[in-house]
Amino acid sequence: MKRSSRWVLGAALVVIAHAASSADALCAKPSNGNGQVKAVIASIETLKKALSAEQRAALERPFVRGSAIQWSNLPVGIVPRAGLRLGDLDVKQEHAAHRVAAAALSACGLKMLDEIRIADNHLKNVDARRIGWDGGNYYMSVLGTPSERTPWMLQIGGHHVAYNFTFNGDREGATPLFFGSEPIHFNMGDTGYEPLATQSGAMSKLAQAIAKHPEAKLSGTFTDVVKGVVVVFVEGQMPTGGTDTGFPMSYPEGTADRGILYGALAPEEQALVRAALESYASLPGAAITESLAATYESPGALASTYVGYSGEPDLSARGSYVRIDGPRIWMELVVQPAVADNKQLHYHALWRDKLSDYGGEIGAK
Amino acid sequence: MKRVIPGLMLLCAAAGGVALAHSAPNSLVKLDFLAHTVRAEVLVPESELASATAAESTKWPFAEYLQRHLSVETPQGAAWKLEVRSVSSTAYLGHAYLSAQVEFTPPPGASVREFVLVDDAVTHEVRNHLVLVLVTDTATPEVLGALQYPARRLKVQR
Repeated sequence: MKRSSRWVLGAALVVIAHAASSADALCAKPSNGNGQVKAVIASIETLKKALSAEQRAALERPFVRGSAIQWSNLPVGIVPRAGLRLGDLDVKQEHAAHRVAAAALSACGLKMLDEIRIADNHLKNVDARRIGWDGGNYYMSVLGTPSERTPWMLQIGGHHVAYNFTFNGDREGATPLFFGSEPIHFNMGDTGYEPLATQSGAMSKLAQAIAKHPEAKLSGTFTDVVKGVVVVFVEGQMPTGGTDTGFPMSYPEGTADRGILYGALAPEEQALVRAALESYASLPGAAITESLAATYESPGALASTYVGYSGEPDLSARGSYVRIDGPRIWMELVVQPAVADNKQLHYHALWRDKLSDYGGEIGAK
Repeated sequence: MKRVIPGLMLLCAAAGGVALAHSAPNSLVKLDFLAHTVRAEVLVPESELASATAAESTKWPFAEYLQRHLSVETPQGAAWKLEVRSVSSTAYLGHAYLSAQVEFTPPPGASVREFVLVDDAVTHEVRNHLVLVLVTDTATPEVLGALQYPARRLKVQR
């Protein structure tokens, strides 16, 4: 059995084993730890016991800006990652690593991680170029010392996932959270996958609903997410950056070209805004994300939240784009041409919080 | 460094073929400060330029297009002279770029090391696009700043 298959099987066992655990308010299915810091720490301790000294050294990194911003949406052959490479783990270690993910993520977030890794295995099978497509090229890092009181981070990521969770930070610690999918849907064996079906479906429904409002249409063209990683290509050299070197970000201000205000929408359209928001916010475990979601859905925040779109509202063409932009929330999804097969499409999606990326613990350079 | 070497090997393997690892490449403005002028290599990815100009009825030659979207001013707003000396095509990591060698000359009495770079060649239309402004006369390129819509003016002081 391939490693990624074992990981997914492990996911299923974990979900079944913990089906009786507390419900996640946003993700309909229960998760292993719901993002509770105690459960995440316990799972990390179990993982560490299963690792060699060298593997532990790869897992444990300092909680400093340079480590925290080291996530990307590029294959690892272009932007090398740090941390414990999941593809190098034996069965026992892999199960332990998966339990860490299960403790930190909701069932929805765990399923998405598993399926995005399978998508990378699919790409490896269809694209011979050696730029790092591989479900094994996903990494886990613990930045700082896991604690129930002092700040630290858990990072799980690779080509199309960047989970960056900060515990005990000055602010909530669910973001930055990047996710993507290439292909959008695919088959591996007899199983069909669409890793971002929930999020793209929610964003598409929202875009189609607001498209009847002229002010919802954003000006310009979108070829990627707007607040993503920064890549510096200099000919003849290894690209530099490709990580979150642009943090902290600036965001649109005022009322111009941000879309339509939540308050100007009909109740059924407003419900679609909340559903799209929750499709992103449901990816981390509830303990990590619930207070943020509540903040985003407070009447005061929603009153100042804009939603906008560009391109095709049904996300059927490259350049289609949907965004939720509030006092703190920044969620976007864009449709790009696929890299492995330029005739296909692929998604990039990003959730940032304008105040609490990295738990408010990471400053400018 | 240990991590970079395998990455570089992968990169070289990919670049030797038709790598297209990032579907939305950025623009670069690479500055070289001389005694009386600033020379720049302006690299604009053709895919993003095509997106930026898709709706425009007039298709300008690249040198003229740059003259309409790229300029340098003194901090007080006096225009520098801009000369596009040559234009060529290049490719990197599977992306096609237009490259322009540009020379900026300040007005008499103005410092050559302090100016405002104005560039919206792609960013006037493509909302995610970044213009990265670098100095390349250092051992490793140093990023001075980046422009993304709606920003189109970058203060440079060296």
